Amino acid sequence: MRTMTIYVEKDSMIHNVDPLTKLLFVFVSVAMTYILPTYHFIIVVFVFTLFLLFVGKVLNYTLPVISVSFMLITSIIIIQSLFHPDRATPIYDIGPFTIYKEGITFAFLVTLRIFNMICAFGLLILTTKPDDLVQALINLGLSAKIGYVILSVLQIIPQMIRTTDKISDAQRSRGMETEGKLLTRIKSFIPLITPVVLNSLNDTLERSIALEIRGFNATGKRTILNNPTPYKYGLVFKVLLLMLLVGTIFWRVMI
Amino acid sequence: MNKKSMWSVKFPVAAFALIPAGIGINYIGKFFAELLKLPLWLDSIGTVLSGMLAGPVIGALVGIINNLIYGFTLSPISYVYAITSGVVGLVAGFMAYKGWISSIKKALFLGLIVGLVAATVSTPLNMQFWGGQTGNIWGDILFAYLSASNAPLWLASFADSIVVDVPDKIVTVLVSYLIFKGLPKNVTQMYDNHSKIERL
Repeated sequence: MRTMTIYVEKDSMIHNVDPLTKLLFVFVSVAMTYILPTYHFIIVVFVFTLFLLFVGKVLNYTLPVISVSFMLITSIIIIQSLFHPDRATPIYDIGPFTIYKEGITFAFLVTLRIFNMICAFGLLILTTKPDDLVQALINLGLSAKIGYVILSVLQIIPQMIRTTDKISDAQRSRGMETEGKLLTRIKSFIPLITPVVLNSLNDTLERSIALEIRGFNATGKRTILNNPTPYKYGLVFKVLLLMLLVGTIFWRVMI
Repeated sequence: MNKKSMWSVKFPVAAFALIPAGIGINYIGKFFAELLKLPLWLDSIGTVLSGMLAGPVIGALVGIINNLIYGFTLSPISYVYAITSGVVGLVAGFMAYKGWISSIKKALFLGLIVGLVAATVSTPLNMQFWGGQTGNIWGDILFAYLSASNAPLWLASFADSIVVDVPDKIVTVLVSYLIFKGLPKNVTQMYDNHSKIERL
């Protein structure tokens, strides 16, 4: 069965850092690469993110995360190097097209930013249990109801995929075609999705009864079942990250 | 009970239970579209359907949380489009409550509007984050053609988004409309925020 999260259970320094600090790191790291558009600087940020992934023992799990955005990255490299709006200096001809220096530079910059964005988020999601992150956000002031919603999605989707398998088998045995011409395939979309939708909407009724019984809409102070483990040095890291961000903004304004 | 505004943020519990289901439907729609090798994403059926069932606020919540969870499980890139998804749910829910799903023609128009709005919201994001492209082959070919003929960047990027979003959203809204019309009354009334019916 496919599980929803890509969290990797390991014991490392990064795993033991406060989820909010990691979240702030993602924000600062992505923001820095967009604030300062010099690629030397972005390479430094990117290498630092890779270093943290290495410390967190999840570097080799990052590649599949990057490959999801493969199409976007390829398309950016090809199209920007050929057709960038400020193109002026041709460096190479392929048939009727010409590669321009400005385009290549721009594509390189954007690709680095995307890689850094994916790796920074990768650091958060590969080393943080979703429960811990949501709990940390609730402590910060996120509504407990929204917290419930987020976590329940992670349980519901595998459940729905199982229903999906059953339904596609059932419809195929009735003679529905899932291969062939485009029109045939479009026609079978509705009989596939409608039963799943009805099923899941019916489930929400049961779930809402269960929630109501447990006082979902109750007002008053809530207590926590599992007390979160206290994290060390959270404040120090956060202050350091914010100083880095302010430093970058300052640098940008000065140059 | 008085008729409540569709913008009310006090939801029945069922509406909260609808959010995860809506996100699940999004996921399943994408899953079937890939299974049948359809040239569309169809990954916002749940967002649109939740908007139709429970109003714009729940629709927007489904959209935003959907992308946050996608970002957390499949592809970090989808964080960027959380705003777009939220607006899709908001517009679909708002127009559905204003009666734009009373016939199939109106639903087609609703799809067109949702697609245009989605493209308009995505364009500045695409331009800011990756120079204007979407990563979809057909849209990016158009983007390349327009850039090659020296059209302004925003126009090329907007055209790229439109080619990608409008057909996808029209089909999405149409499918949601067909499903919505087929739902039994006792299901649709469960989430209804402005009905006078006593509910759970």
